[in-house]
Formats: sequence, C-alpha cells, structure tokens
Amino acid sequence: MADDSANLTDSVPAASAHCGEETASQAVRIAAIPDEGTPAANVNDTPAVSVSKLVKHYGDMVALDYFDLDVHQGEIFGLLGPNGSGKTTAINCILALLTYDSGTIRVFGQPMTPTSYDLKRRIGIVPQNVAVFNELTVEENIDYFCSLYVPRKAERAPLVEEAVAFAGLQDFRRFRPGKLSGGLLRRLNIACGIAHKPDLIFFDEPTVAVDPQSRNAILEGIQRLNSDGATVVYTSHYMEEVERICDRILIMDHGRHLALGTADELKDMIDTGERITIGTLDLTEETLAAVRALGFVIEAAYNGHELDVRCRRGEHNLIDLLGVLRAAGTNVGHLTSQPPTLNDVFLELTGKALRD
Amino acid sequence: MWSTFVMTLKTNLRDRSALFWLIVFPLVLSTLFAGMFGNLADSYEIKPIAMAVVEDANWKDASVASSFVDALSGKTRTSDESETPGAHADPGIHLIDATAVDSLTQARAALADGTADGYLTVDSEGGLRLTLASTVAGSAKDAMSSGSSKAVAIAALGNAIGLYNRTDAVTRDLIADNPQAAVSRSFWTSLGDTAGMTREIQLTNFKPDAMARYFYALLGMACLMAMGYSITAVTTAQANLSALGLRRTVAPLGRGRQLMAGFLASWLCAATSLLIALSYIRYVCGIALGGREPAAVIAVITASFMACAFGTMIGAIPGLTHSVKMGLTSAIPCALSLFSGLYGAFAMSLSELITRDAPVLALINPAQQVTNLFYDILYFDSYRPFLTTCGILLAMSAVFLIAGVIMLKEQRYEHL
Repeated sequence: MADDSANLTDSVPAASAHCGEETASQAVRIAAIPDEGTPAANVNDTPAVSVSKLVKHYGDMVALDYFDLDVHQGEIFGLLGPNGSGKTTAINCILALLTYDSGTIRVFGQPMTPTSYDLKRRIGIVPQNVAVFNELTVEENIDYFCSLYVPRKAERAPLVEEAVAFAGLQDFRRFRPGKLSGGLLRRLNIACGIAHKPDLIFFDEPTVAVDPQSRNAILEGIQRLNSDGATVVYTSHYMEEVERICDRILIMDHGRHLALGTADELKDMIDTGERITIGTLDLTEETLAAVRALGFVIEAAYNGHELDVRCRRGEHNLIDLLGVLRAAGTNVGHLTSQPPTLNDVFLELTGKALRD
Repeated sequence: MWSTFVMTLKTNLRDRSALFWLIVFPLVLSTLFAGMFGNLADSYEIKPIAMAVVEDANWKDASVASSFVDALSGKTRTSDESETPGAHADPGIHLIDATAVDSLTQARAALADGTADGYLTVDSEGGLRLTLASTVAGSAKDAMSSGSSKAVAIAALGNAIGLYNRTDAVTRDLIADNPQAAVSRSFWTSLGDTAGMTREIQLTNFKPDAMARYFYALLGMACLMAMGYSITAVTTAQANLSALGLRRTVAPLGRGRQLMAGFLASWLCAATSLLIALSYIRYVCGIALGGREPAAVIAVITASFMACAFGTMIGAIPGLTHSVKMGLTSAIPCALSLFSGLYGAFAMSLSELITRDAPVLALINPAQQVTNLFYDILYFDSYRPFLTTCGILLAMSAVFLIAGVIMLKEQRYEHL
C-alpha cells in the first residue's frame, strides 16, 4: 500500500496544491492524460471507482436513475446534491452494502462484492453518522477499527499513532467519545476511517453539525490525505466545501447525474455570470421593472431593503444596472458583486436552490 | 477476530448499565431476598416448646414416662441407664424444654406467667397427659394452616405422647394377660419395633430449602438479562442495524468471524456475571447447592450460552432499534420470571400450576428452565434431570441461533 501511495503521489505532482482552483484543474488534467510508458501510469489509468447505469429503487421511489460515476485515482471527487438526492445510496451501493436493480460497479477495476476483502483492505469509510464505540477511548477506537484491516499489533501501533496525530487528538487519546465535543468526535470518526492508510476514502458528509474551526481542520486534513496519495470521494450538500477541496464535482439530484466537471467548468456551463446585491430602501415597482427589462438580467428580486440581481455574463452589467437606478433617483447603499457559485449552477440546472 | 473479541469484552465491562443489571442488581435482590425470606426458613425449623413437668407421686411411679420425657427434651442417657422401648429420639430433634415443678398448682402458675406453654402430668394409670395454655393452643390452631414451627412442634409432641400412651397401654395389657412376656427380651424388642413402623427416608439429594427456589428463580432472571450483551454484539456488527455495523461491514474481516468473536465475548461476560451472582447467593446468602458446586458452574455456562443465543436472535431482528431491543432485555426476563416463581408465593404457585397442568409452557420458558437447572442439582439424587434440563436449554439455544442466522444471512440490504 505504501508503494502504491508513492506512485500515486508521483503521478499527480500538483495534488498537494489543491487550494488553488487552477492548479487543481491541472492536476486532474495530468491524471487524465494516460502515460502508457510507465507501469505506474497504467495503474492510475484504472478508475478508482467506476459506476455505470446504476439503478436502485426503494419500493416505488427511484433512488438512483441510471447513475454514472468515474473517480480517477489521486483526485478528490465531490458528490454534490441536496439531502435525499442519492449521494449516500450511491456510496452504499459502491461499498456493496446495498442491493441494486441494475448497473455495474467496479472499484480499482474489479467488481465489488461483500466478500471482496482484498478491495476492502484498500478502502476507508467515514460515515455520515459518527460510528465509534462509546465505551472505548479515542485511542482504543482507532486501534480497533485499524485492527480490522491490520491484524498485527506491531504493524498497527505506528498507524494508530499517526492517525491520532493526523486528527489532532493527541491530548484526548484517553478520553471516551462522550467527553469529546462535536468537532472532536467528527475528527475521531475520520481517524477511525483512515488509520489503515487506505487508497480510496469515502467521506459521507463529514462536516455536518461541525463548527467552522473544526470544519476547516477537517477539510485541510482531507486535502493532506489526498496529497499523501489517497483518492477521496467526498459527499456534501455544502457547496463551499466541495468547491474548496474537490478537483472534480458531480452534481446530482433525484438519483440522476446532472453535471460533472471542475468548479470552473460547472460555472461555465450556466448563463449566470455574476450576482449583484445592492442595498436600497426606496426602490419603486417601476424601477424594479426597468431593472428586469435589462437584457443581461436573468432574475431580479427586491425584499424592501436589498435588491438581488442574477446576471448573465457581461462586461458592463454593474455599470448598466447602476445607470438605471441613478436615472430613477434611487438611493444606493452598500453594493456587492459575486461570481457564480455552485448553488447558481444547481439553481439553473434544477430550478431550485441546493438547500431548498 | 481476537481484537473484536477483546473489544467486545472491553465494551461489555465498561457498560455501566449492563454492569448494574447483571452484577449489582442480582446481588441487591439476593440480599433483599435473604432479609425477606429469612423468617421463612426459620419457620421450617422445629423449636422446642417450654413445658413444665409435674413431678408428683404419679410421676415418681412412672419411670418409663420420665425416660420418655427426657428423650423429648433431647437428654441422652448413659449406657448404664435403662433405655425405654419406643422412647428413642433423634438427638438432633429437641421437642420440649422441660422444667420440673412439684405440683399441678406450680405448673398452672407457670402457664399463667408465660414461663411455660403447657405442662405434662402422669395420671394414676401411668399415662402421660399434655395440657397447653389456651393462648398457645389457640395460636397453634391458627398457625396450623400456615405451618408455623410452633404448630408443627405441638403436633409432633401430641403424636409422640399419643404413641407413647398407646404403647404403654398395650404393654400393660399384654403383661397382664401374659406375665411371662415381661421377662422375654424379644417382647421388649418388638415393642421398640412398633415405633419403627415409621421409617425415615430421604426423598431429595439435599435437605429441602424453602428459600432456594426464589434464589434460583432470581438466577433465571439474571441469566436472561445477560442477553443484552449479545444483542449489542449483533447490532454493532450489522450494517442494517447501526452505523457501527456499517463501518465494520465495510472492513475486510468476515462478518461471521466478527459475530463469532462478539458471541464468545458476550458468553464469557454473561457466564462471569452469573457466576458472581451464584457465588454471592451460595456463600454470602448461604443458599445450598447440595454440595454440587461444579455442576452449578456447568449450569451457569449452559444457561449463559442459551441467554447469548436468545440475545443473538433478538439482536438480529430487523426494524427494531437498539434501544427497543435493550428494553426487551428487561421486559422479557421480568415477564418470564413471573411464571418461574420469582415474585413470591403467588408466582411460585403459578409456576407449579403451569408445570403441572401445562408442562409445554414450562418447557419453552427459558427462565423456568434455568431455574430448573439449579433445582435439579439440589433436589434430585440423580444427575439425569439436570442433564435433561441442560439438553432442553441447548435445544433452545440451537433454535435461537438458527433463527438469528436466518435473519443475519443477508450480505447486502434493500435499505439501510
């Protein structure tokens, strides 16, 4: 496993710089270009996860509707969708926990079954709900879950130490989970899933109900794991997180694959170019109608103190908008202009906001 | 598998709720039982009755009566003293505390001031006469229905005196008809044989202990409560039952091995907690096991195996939350213990009624069968009933485990 990690790191040289979106995109592109001259590149050509035409029903409800997914080795892959969109179902099918109606699933090129122990050894899971033993200490929990993958105590001990340090739990190693804060519990949950140094890690909404500080620590930790060579599949309904750490993002809803690409690629897919917000207390209906009549305006809404305008791409959107307001004699307070977000992408693709 | 075994041991030993219900609760209840039922045991002990003996002129003429009363008082005679046929008494049984008085008046005074419950006199024909204080006679009559020790002692005393008087009258008549008989040793020996018409036999392996049944029923309940260990072991290993199970199912250690390790650790914990309860009951509360302590250890091992099998089946039931299942670990033992006699005389009567009139219900009640295990050890001469009960419990375990395995056989789930 250590050798594989080294190869992965070698073949994805920019993987340690995921904070910059441009660099992350390059990393994906590098990973996607096959270099058949080296064995390591051949290994990396095999998708870490490959899902094709997966269909899953819960009774009459369609949970996954011909769902496709390819996760490249060495990337952080984001599954973005609202609650109930099928993210967790997809992961549970990939992990051979759930039955499905049709489709194929392969992990590292091999079919995944409940008894694919060789494959399972290479996989780590950080479930959505914290899954640790309340009667065991932090260290014992990590040691136990690691022991399921690494039976020999001598081999396991340094891995456990590393996981404790990775999660920043050195001062809490003798604590039981009941004494930990929500953020520390989430970190313990992660440490239990990654202690055995898996090649492929599934993070299923790991930052739900976590304070901003712990959230940052968790996201940085995931980036570190990836820079050490692990492939990460990250599900969330927090678009900021996905945008921040993921190389590629798949947006899904109602079990369907809606769009796939880097954050920039996804934003390029939509008409929205920017969102302009202007503080004003005296906007009239006539002025609002005039704003809506502007050619670049997709949508404009006024709530009595703030005008929110979603605009198409354009060089002079702000100037033109302010011109209309000035002509109508509207007093303007604070003003912001934001580039499109993944929420805008989701809104445009589905007609509803990601968190509706 | 070893690490799962050790992990399960640790989680079980640190589970305060389980420790309370499986170790503290049986000890507390045993202590309460010992306090509550202490008088019950006492009521089965025959206590001597304070009796005044009027040593008047008739008494002095009736040396045989004197020997008989000495025997009733538990006094032993030296070898050179003559022994009276029919007046043998078990030196361990001491029916009266005799106090000699000179006259009937003194005897009545003793009754009046409460220093004696009755008095014995010898009539002019040599017969013994028992007179009881009216208060004692009345309370003894009431107490006969409840079987109090005094009532039993008075009844025994009345029977013994009646037997003495009949034997004495028959002897006098025989000697009057045939004076030669008085010099015949075989005649006097045969008089002794008359009393020997009553033969003491031992029906049980050990002296019956009225309290023991309640303690055995308590062990039955404690045993069933131990199924909580295996319920937790199963629910935390199954992806469809807990998040922990989901995480463990994704691991490369086979589910069968994880379940086996959890079962073995749960069995060890259940057996240990039951052994602690048994030791407390045996050595602190003083409840007998008929000198068959090794068999009792086997009983604990068998009973705890059944409890863990039962817990495996309940733990495997899909659709019930872990907390509901843990609730069942209290509800089921409490309900089944009603029919095994734990809750006092009414429950004990109910248990007997079911065993007598609906034996199948008693057969399928695990609490009753665990209670029977210890009962068999104490009371039966042979080990056969004990082994039969062990067999019943193992058959039950097999049924529970098969049902559990059927529910656990799915490797992938429709829902999680």
